[in-house]
Amino acid sequence: MTHPASEPPVRMYHVSKSYMAGQYALHDVSLEVRRGEFVFLTGASGAGKTTLLELIFAATEPSEGQILVLGRNVARLGASAIPALRRRVGVVFQDFKLLDDRTVEENVRLALDVIGTPRREARSRVFQLLKSVGLQHRRFHHPKSLSGGEQQRVALARALVNEPEILLADEPTGNLDPELTIEIMDLIMASATRGTTVIVATHDLSLIDRYGKRMLRLEDGRIAEDHPAAIAALGANS
Amino acid sequence: MSRVLVLIRVMFANALNGVRQAGATSLLAVLTIAVVLVLVGSASLLVENMSGILDDFGAELQLTAYLDDDLSDSELTHLADTVTAAPGVASIEVVTKAAALERFERIAGGAELLVGLDDNPLPASLEIELRPEARNAASLEVLRESLDGLSGIDELAHAEEWIEGYTRAVSLVRGGAWGIGLVLGLAALLIVANTIRLAFYARRDELDILALVGASRTFVRVPFLLEGTLQGVLGGLVALVIVFGAYELLLPQLRYGLELLVGRAELHFFSVSESAALVGAGAGLGLLGSMTALAGWRSES
Repeated sequence: MTHPASEPPVRMYHVSKSYMAGQYALHDVSLEVRRGEFVFLTGASGAGKTTLLELIFAATEPSEGQILVLGRNVARLGASAIPALRRRVGVVFQDFKLLDDRTVEENVRLALDVIGTPRREARSRVFQLLKSVGLQHRRFHHPKSLSGGEQQRVALARALVNEPEILLADEPTGNLDPELTIEIMDLIMASATRGTTVIVATHDLSLIDRYGKRMLRLEDGRIAEDHPAAIAALGANS
Repeated sequence: MSRVLVLIRVMFANALNGVRQAGATSLLAVLTIAVVLVLVGSASLLVENMSGILDDFGAELQLTAYLDDDLSDSELTHLADTVTAAPGVASIEVVTKAAALERFERIAGGAELLVGLDDNPLPASLEIELRPEARNAASLEVLRESLDGLSGIDELAHAEEWIEGYTRAVSLVRGGAWGIGLVLGLAALLIVANTIRLAFYARRDELDILALVGASRTFVRVPFLLEGTLQGVLGGLVALVIVFGAYELLLPQLRYGLELLVGRAELHFFSVSESAALVGAGAGLGLLGSMTALAGWRSES
């Protein structure tokens, strides 16, 4: 199912999420993210960054409000429709979420296996992607034998192998040193330049300063700031 | 290759991979199923052989109609036809006075008892064998009523108490077998479901990652169902080998004991179809166990 290019792939209208009565992880959040846009999501721990990302990839449902992801109303998605949406949304986590008993190639190929991509085609696509993240020579290694930066590159390759329309990254550099952080962020940034809508949750303000992209700051579950790319860049420079 | 075929191949590969990767947990599931099936299989084999022995006993349970002395040959033939057609009768044997005397003389000391008697005092008789389904007190009563008063029959002798005892024994053995089978089957299902659930929790990360990359519920679940079924088949095969080994090992002693007790020892192992049923029961247990374990799972991603 294709989504009209003119429509923002992520739209939220007065979305709230409450896990306990009266306590909101997100409260009355409304936002739009345009196609190909790169957005940093920031805020203190517990501000609601992860919840917001989970709502977008339908890991949880909103308590109130509407979320449209690639034209689909997440609150009304049946259990059988969720996998189809997730194939169009790549996700990267701080802890990589790789399977240690599978090789790098097998980990990346998972996203292609679940949609029945023929083995030859899948291997070719995985190789190309691993090449783009500089890990083609490590494709038969297991994640445990890789460095943190390499593991995150594998996770990124898995998230991108299906050419998703949206890429979500939850603290993707949280476990990495500054040099590897830049390496991973450059790779994520490159996917945005190819037209993928990217939302990166991070509490690392230096990254926001460095890339000068749109920045949404959450505070107690509400959007406290929404700086467009240029203003964020200016703010970072001031 | 179409995407559906690729998906099927990947799901089978995941199931095999799951059995291999789970290692100890997988082995535990196979052994659990095997232990349960050894118990069920042994009980079934025992019941089946006991039923066979009871059937043999049943064939010997018979009714004897002692005949009037003055019966002519044509009257005897007519009476024999009538009795053969009576309800529950499998076959009859006509024992003439001369044959009865001959039998009696063969009994130890029988000939001495007859010394001094001029005439043969023994009556002719009809020995009536009952059909298997008529070997019970109610059918015997119906047969007795239909034979009572028939011209030419002097007296009916039967082993009603024997037949009632036989009926009780058959009911007890078969009822007991069903009861034991049911209890063992339920226990097996619970144990297998919990064992498979353990395997399932051990691989929760994998399931959550699969859900994360857009795997359908079918894609996630089918390998587990296949895995459970495969473990069940393996468990069934192991059980079959163990039961067969134990049967072969104990056969001489069993034969000897039975010959001492009941004078016969017609024992047999499962037929091919019964063996297949035991392995099939393992597959069913594994499948049901997986389904039960999966019923409680919900992706966290």
